Amino acid sequence: MVHHTNQYSRPQPSPYLSILATIRSAVFSPRRDLHRLGQEDRFGVSPACLKRAERLITALALTWIVGCEPPPLTPNGVVGVFGNVGLGNGSFSYPRAVTADPAGPILVVDKAGRIQRFLADGTFDRVWRMPKTEKGKPVGMTVHPDGRIFVADTHYHRVLIFDQVGNIVGSFGSEGVGDGEFQLPTDVAVDAQGDLYVSEYHENDRITKWSPDLQFIAAFGEDPIEGKRLSRPAGIDIDSEQTLWVADACNHRVVRFSLDGAALSVIGEFGREAGELRYPYDVDVSPDGEIMVCEYGGDRLQWFSKDGKSLRTWGSSGRKLGELSGPWGAAYGAQGLVYVVDSLNSRVQILEP
Amino acid sequence: MTIVGLALPFDFEQPVWLWLCLIVPLLIAASIRSLAGLSPIRRALAVTARSFVVILVASCLAGIQHVQRTDDLTVLFLMDRSHSVQEQQDFQEQYIAEAARGMASEDRVGLIDFARNAFLQQLPMSGGYHIEPGRLPPMPNTDRTDIASAMRLAMAMFPHDTAKRIVLMSDGNDNMGDLLTEARRAKADGIPVDVVPIYYKHRNEVYFDRMIAPTHAEPGEQVPLRMVLNSHKAVAGTITMYLNGELVDLPEEAARVHLNPGSNTLFMKMPIQRSGAQTYEAIFHPDNEEMDTIALNNAASAFTFVSGTSFVLILSSNPSHDQPLADALASENVRVEMRNVSELGAFDLLHMMNYSTIILANVPAATFTDEQQEALAVYVKDMGSGLIMFGGDESFGAGGWIGSPVEEIMPVSFEIKHKRVIPRGALVLIMHSCEIPRGNYWGKEMAKKSVDTISSQDYIGVLAYTYSPGGENWEVPLDLNLNKAAVKAKIDRMQIGDMPDFGTTMQMAFNSLTSGRGSDAAQKHVIILSDGDAQPPSGRLVNKYVQAKITVSTISIGWGGHVMDRALRDIAKKTGGKYYAARNPRQLPQIFSKESKVVRRPLIIDEPFQPQVLHMYSDLLTGIDPQSDALPPLGGMVLTSPKHSPNVLVPIIRATDDGEDPVLAHWQYELGKAVAFTSGYWPKWGTAWTEWPKFAKLWAQIVRWTMRQDTPANFDTYTRVEGNRARIVIDALDKDAGYLNNLQLRTKAIGPDNSAIPLQFTQTGPGKYEAQVEVEKAGQHLANVQVADGTRNLGTIRTGFSVPFSPEYRDLIPNEALLRQVVDTTEGRWLDAGPAHDDVFNHDLPPTLAKRSAWEWVLAWLLLPLFLLDVAVRRLASWLALSVAVEIVVLFVLLYGIGIAYGPWWGILGAFALAELIGWTIRFRFIGPLFDFMTHSVTALSRTGERSAASLDQLKTTREQVRDELSSAKEEGLKRIDQEPGPIPLASARRRFDTGGHSAEPAGDLDQALDGAKVTEPPPDKRRPPPPVSKEDQEETTSRLLRKKRKREEEKE
Repeated sequence: MVHHTNQYSRPQPSPYLSILATIRSAVFSPRRDLHRLGQEDRFGVSPACLKRAERLITALALTWIVGCEPPPLTPNGVVGVFGNVGLGNGSFSYPRAVTADPAGPILVVDKAGRIQRFLADGTFDRVWRMPKTEKGKPVGMTVHPDGRIFVADTHYHRVLIFDQVGNIVGSFGSEGVGDGEFQLPTDVAVDAQGDLYVSEYHENDRITKWSPDLQFIAAFGEDPIEGKRLSRPAGIDIDSEQTLWVADACNHRVVRFSLDGAALSVIGEFGREAGELRYPYDVDVSPDGEIMVCEYGGDRLQWFSKDGKSLRTWGSSGRKLGELSGPWGAAYGAQGLVYVVDSLNSRVQILEP
Repeated sequence: MTIVGLALPFDFEQPVWLWLCLIVPLLIAASIRSLAGLSPIRRALAVTARSFVVILVASCLAGIQHVQRTDDLTVLFLMDRSHSVQEQQDFQEQYIAEAARGMASEDRVGLIDFARNAFLQQLPMSGGYHIEPGRLPPMPNTDRTDIASAMRLAMAMFPHDTAKRIVLMSDGNDNMGDLLTEARRAKADGIPVDVVPIYYKHRNEVYFDRMIAPTHAEPGEQVPLRMVLNSHKAVAGTITMYLNGELVDLPEEAARVHLNPGSNTLFMKMPIQRSGAQTYEAIFHPDNEEMDTIALNNAASAFTFVSGTSFVLILSSNPSHDQPLADALASENVRVEMRNVSELGAFDLLHMMNYSTIILANVPAATFTDEQQEALAVYVKDMGSGLIMFGGDESFGAGGWIGSPVEEIMPVSFEIKHKRVIPRGALVLIMHSCEIPRGNYWGKEMAKKSVDTISSQDYIGVLAYTYSPGGENWEVPLDLNLNKAAVKAKIDRMQIGDMPDFGTTMQMAFNSLTSGRGSDAAQKHVIILSDGDAQPPSGRLVNKYVQAKITVSTISIGWGGHVMDRALRDIAKKTGGKYYAARNPRQLPQIFSKESKVVRRPLIIDEPFQPQVLHMYSDLLTGIDPQSDALPPLGGMVLTSPKHSPNVLVPIIRATDDGEDPVLAHWQYELGKAVAFTSGYWPKWGTAWTEWPKFAKLWAQIVRWTMRQDTPANFDTYTRVEGNRARIVIDALDKDAGYLNNLQLRTKAIGPDNSAIPLQFTQTGPGKYEAQVEVEKAGQHLANVQVADGTRNLGTIRTGFSVPFSPEYRDLIPNEALLRQVVDTTEGRWLDAGPAHDDVFNHDLPPTLAKRSAWEWVLAWLLLPLFLLDVAVRRLASWLALSVAVEIVVLFVLLYGIGIAYGPWWGILGAFALAELIGWTIRFRFIGPLFDFMTHSVTALSRTGERSAASLDQLKTTREQVRDELSSAKEEGLKRIDQEPGPIPLASARRRFDTGGHSAEPAGDLDQALDGAKVTEPPPDKRRPPPPVSKEDQEETTSRLLRKKRKREEEKE
C-alpha cells in the first residue's frame, strides 16, 4: 500500500530529550570547555573519563525515558533496496537508468558506464561495460520482448543492442539532425509490432520511429494541443492500448502520442503539488494501466490515470529509505514491483505500489 | 595492559578507576545494617547486586574493553607503478589476483598503487581481490617512486582487529621518501613487509648524466660545456644542442659522438651571443633506436649568467602605443627592448632575469598564465628586480589583475576601498554538472577564480542545479562580492547536480539582473560553464537577454571531446558574449579571469583631469619642479587605492571632491621595487605627456630607480646536481686572495614552478660555503644569494642549477639491496617463487588482540539489570515478582556473555533454559498453582457433564426461590405503598458494586500497594455470616483491618 507523503511529518523531539540536553549543557559543557582550553580540572577528571561519565548518565537517563520516543518512520511501501556507492559488483556510481526484463531480471546502468543485471530481489547477477565511456554514459534502455537489450548510448548518439550476456549484437544511428540521426538519445521503447521508438533531445527534441529491421520510418515531436514542441523527452513507454507516453522533461509534463505521431493528450504542469510535475525524467505504464512518472526535480514518483488524474505520489527529497535524491528512472518489474533508481543515493529502491 | 588482555577476555583503558571497587566492602557493611529488615536471602541478593553495580560502574569508568583473539590476516599489496616498472604491471596484477585466490574467507586483501603519490585502490576487504587486470585507473606522475608514502598509507589503512602484512612489489628504486624509516616504523607496529622483487631485463640504455656549464661568464668569452653521458654498450649517435631554445648548427665532427660502455665525457665550447642568462640544452640521439630504451633521459640542460648592461623590457599589447615611451627611454640611454605580449611564447623566471625591470604597458592579466604571474611576483620580491605597471583600459582592476600575485607586489590595491559610488558590475555564473571526470571540481575552481578577480564593489551570484530538494538554486545569491572568503566557501560546498535545461537558470539570472538585486549594475554579464548536454534555452529568452544588454559567455568544457557546443556557441553569439571551448582544464583560469574582467569596465575614468604633485620630494620626481614644470593633463586613468603601508609613497594624485586617487605610486617590496602609474595609454590619455619636454627624463629616472642593482660579489660558484640533491659551493676570496670567513649568505632557490626552496649555507672550510637542497622537480632552479659581512652588504651572487630529468629515468637496475634491507628490518619474507608458491596469506603471524570498547554493553546488559535487581529485591514483596526479576537479570547476563563470545544459537536457548530454571527454583511454591491454572480448562472440561447437571439443578432452585420472593415482595410492596414512600436502601445497592473498599483509601505503605496482585490473598471467610444491612459500614472497616493484620502476619513468616 502506498501512502501519500506530500507532507512528510517528522517526529517532534521529546521533552525528555530537551531536559537531558539541558543537564548535559549545564553540567558537562563547562567542564569540557575547561579541557578544551587546556586548563587543569580541579577533580583531575580526564576528558575521556568525562566523556564516559556523560554517556553513562545519558544512557541511564535514556533508559528511563525509553518508550517516550515515537517509533521510527517506516519507509512507505519500500520492500527492498539494493546497491551502494562504489565500483564493485552490485554497487553503483550514480545509476541513471533502470529497466525490467519481462523475464524477471532488472538492468541498471550507472555513470561508470556499467550495465549490471540483478535478479528481481536485487541479487547481483552479472555486469558488462559500455564499449566507450569517455564522452559520457547512457541514460536510458529497454529490453525487447525477444530478450535483446536496447541501450540509448546518449553521448555517442546511437542505440546499442546487447544480447542477454552483454555482447553487442547491433547498433543504429549516428550524430546529426537529419532522418535516422540522433542527438543525445535518451530512451527506447518497443511496440507490439516490434517497431522501435527512440527519444532524443538537445537540437532534435523528437521521437523517431524505426522498423524492426532498424530502418528509419518517421520522426515526430510537435504537440498541437499546447502548441509546444517537446523539450528534452527523457523517457518513453508504450501502454497496452498501443499509445506512446513521453516524459517531456523541460516542459514539465507527460504527453501521450498515437504510434503514428499524433498528440492525444497532455498531463501535468510545472510544480510540486499533486498533478504537477517537476522535470519528469521517466515514464512507465503499470500492468493495470496506470501511468507512473519519475520526477527528477520533484524527487518523487507520481501515478496518473490515463485520463490525466493524479492518483498518488510516493517519495520525498532525502537520503533515508522511502526518500529519493534526483531519481532518473523507474520501472515496473515482472512481479508488479516498482524499481526506482535513486541516483544521487546510488541505490535502487524496490516498492510495492 | 596487554598482559591482562592475554589472560582475560577484557582489558581496561584507565585501570586506576578500578580502585572504586574498594567501596564494595564498605557498601556491604553498610548494606547489611540498612537492610536489616529484609529476609536473609533477599539481603544477600541485594548486597550482591549492589556490589556488582559498584564494580561494574568502576569498570565502565575505567573503560572496559572486550579483547578478542583472532588469527585473521589482512594483506595489503603495494604495487609500484612508476616509470621504471611500467612494463611489469601485468605481472604485478596477475600476481595479486593469483595470490588472492588462495586466501581464507575471513582474510582481507587490499591494494595500494603508487608512483610519486600513493592511492588506495581496494580497501582491505574479505572476499578476494576485485579489480580486474587492466582496470586500474591511470597513474599520474610516474616520474618518481615514493615507496615510503605508500607504506604510510598502508599502515593507516589496516583494520585494527587482524594480523597485518604488507606485500611490496617494486624494483626498489625509491627516489623520494625515506623507505627505511617507514620500514622501522612497520617493524615497531609488528607489520612484516614481504617483498616481491621486480626485475627487468637488462636494457640497452644511454642517459645523460649531467651537463656542466660555468655559472658566470663575461661577454666575448666562449662558454665551456662539459657533458657526461653514460651508456651500457658502445653506441654511436648525434648530439643536438639548443642555445636559449634555438637550435645551434653544430659542425659534423662535434655533433657525431661514439660512446664507450660506461661513463663518457664530452667537451664543447659555445660562443656568447648576448648578456643575461644563457640556457643550453643538449639531446643525444642514438643511430640505432634499439640501443636506448628510455628517451626521456637523453637530454640535459645547464645555464650561464653572462654579465652585461641592464635591459628594460616593455611588454605591450600594442607596441605602437608605447613606442613614445620606448623612444624616450632610449634617448636617456636606457637600453630598452619592447615585445608584443601576444608573441611572448615561453617566458619564465629565467627569461625575466635577463631584464632589470619589466614594464607592463596596459596588458591584461589573462595574457599571462598563473605561473607567469607568480614568476613576475618572484622576479620582484625574491630576485630584487623592478616592475612598472601602466594604466589603460586593460590594466589594473580593469585588466583582471585583482587577486593576482602581481597585485600583491604593487603599491596600490586594485580594488576601490573608499566610499565613492562607482557604477557596479554584476556577474552571474551558471554551473552545469559535467559528464567528464573532475568536471565539477574544475568548475568550482574557476568560479572561485572569478570571485577573486572581480572587485568587492561588484555583484556576484552563482546558479546551479542542486539536489534535495531537486531544483535550480542560487547557490550564491546575487549580491556584492564583499566577503570573498565566504562566497568561495559557499562555492566549495556546492553539490552541482545534473541540470536538465539552461532555460530555468537563465530566466532566474535574468530576473535578478533586471528587477532583483543586480538591477542597478551598469555592466551585466553571465558565464555559463557546461559540457553542453543540457537542453538549450528558448529563442525568446535569448532575445530578452539581447534587449536587456546582458552579455552571456559560454564555456564548454570537455577534455574527452564530449561537447555539444552548437547551442552554447549560439547563445554567446546572439547575446554578444564569447564562446570558449576548453579542451584542457589548465586553460580555464585564463578564460575565467578574462571573462570576469568584462564586468570591471566601471573602474576606468575616461575623462581628462589635471594630475597634482602630492609628494615632491619623492626620489622619482627629483628634478621636476611642480612650480615651473606643471604636469600636463591626462586623459583618463584606472581607479585603484593605495595600500596601507608606510613604504608606499604616492607622489602624483588626481584630486576630486570624493577624494584622492593615486596616479603614481611606488614602494620597495622585499628585495625589489614596484611602480604603479594608473594612467598611460599614451595615444588616448597621454598625448600631452609624450610631448612634455620632461617626459623622457622623468621616466628614465623612474625606470632607473626600479632597476635591479647587480653588484656581483666576485666569488667562484659551483653547482652540482646528483640524483635529486643539488649542491651549491661558493669560494669567497677578497681582493688580496684572503679567505672571507663568517659571511652571512641569505637566499632561497626558486624552482621551475616559482616555489621557493629554502637554502642554508654553512661554512665548510676557509672561505668555503656550501648549501645542499633536495629538488623535486626537473627544470631550472635559480638562486639569488645575498652576501653580507656583519652589517656590510657585499653584493649578490646570481646562480642556479638545472635538473634535467627525474632520477626515475636514471635507474637501470633494480635496487635489490634496499629491498633486502626492508625485508631484514621488518622480518618479512623474500617472495620470488611466484604467487602459487609464495604463500602470501600464510597465517604464521602471532594472533591479534582486537580490543573493542565494551562499556556501553556492560552498561546496558549488566549494570542496568543488576541495578533494577537491587531495587526489585528490596521493593518487590512477592516472591513471584522477585523470581521474575532475578530470572530477567540472569537472562541478560547470560545473553551478554554469549553475545561478546559470539556464542552459538543454542547458547541463547540454553540461556533461556537456565534463567527459567533459576526463576522456577525461587518460585517453586507456585509450580502447583500454575499447573492447576494451566490444566484448569482440561479438568474443567472433564467435569462439564457433572457441572451442567448441577447448574441445571441450581437454576431450577433459583427459579423457585425467585418466584417465591417475587410473590411475597409484591404483597409487601403493595402494603408499603399504601403506608408511606420510604427511602430506597442505598447502602445495599452500593455494596453490590463494592470491590472491597481498597480503592477508596490511599495505600498505607508500599507493601500494601504492591499487594494488590497478590496470589496468596486469603479466600473469603465463608464461616462468617452475611452482615445485616444496617451494620454494613461498620462491618466493612472491621473486616478490612482484620484482613490487613492477617496479611502482615503471613509476610512475617
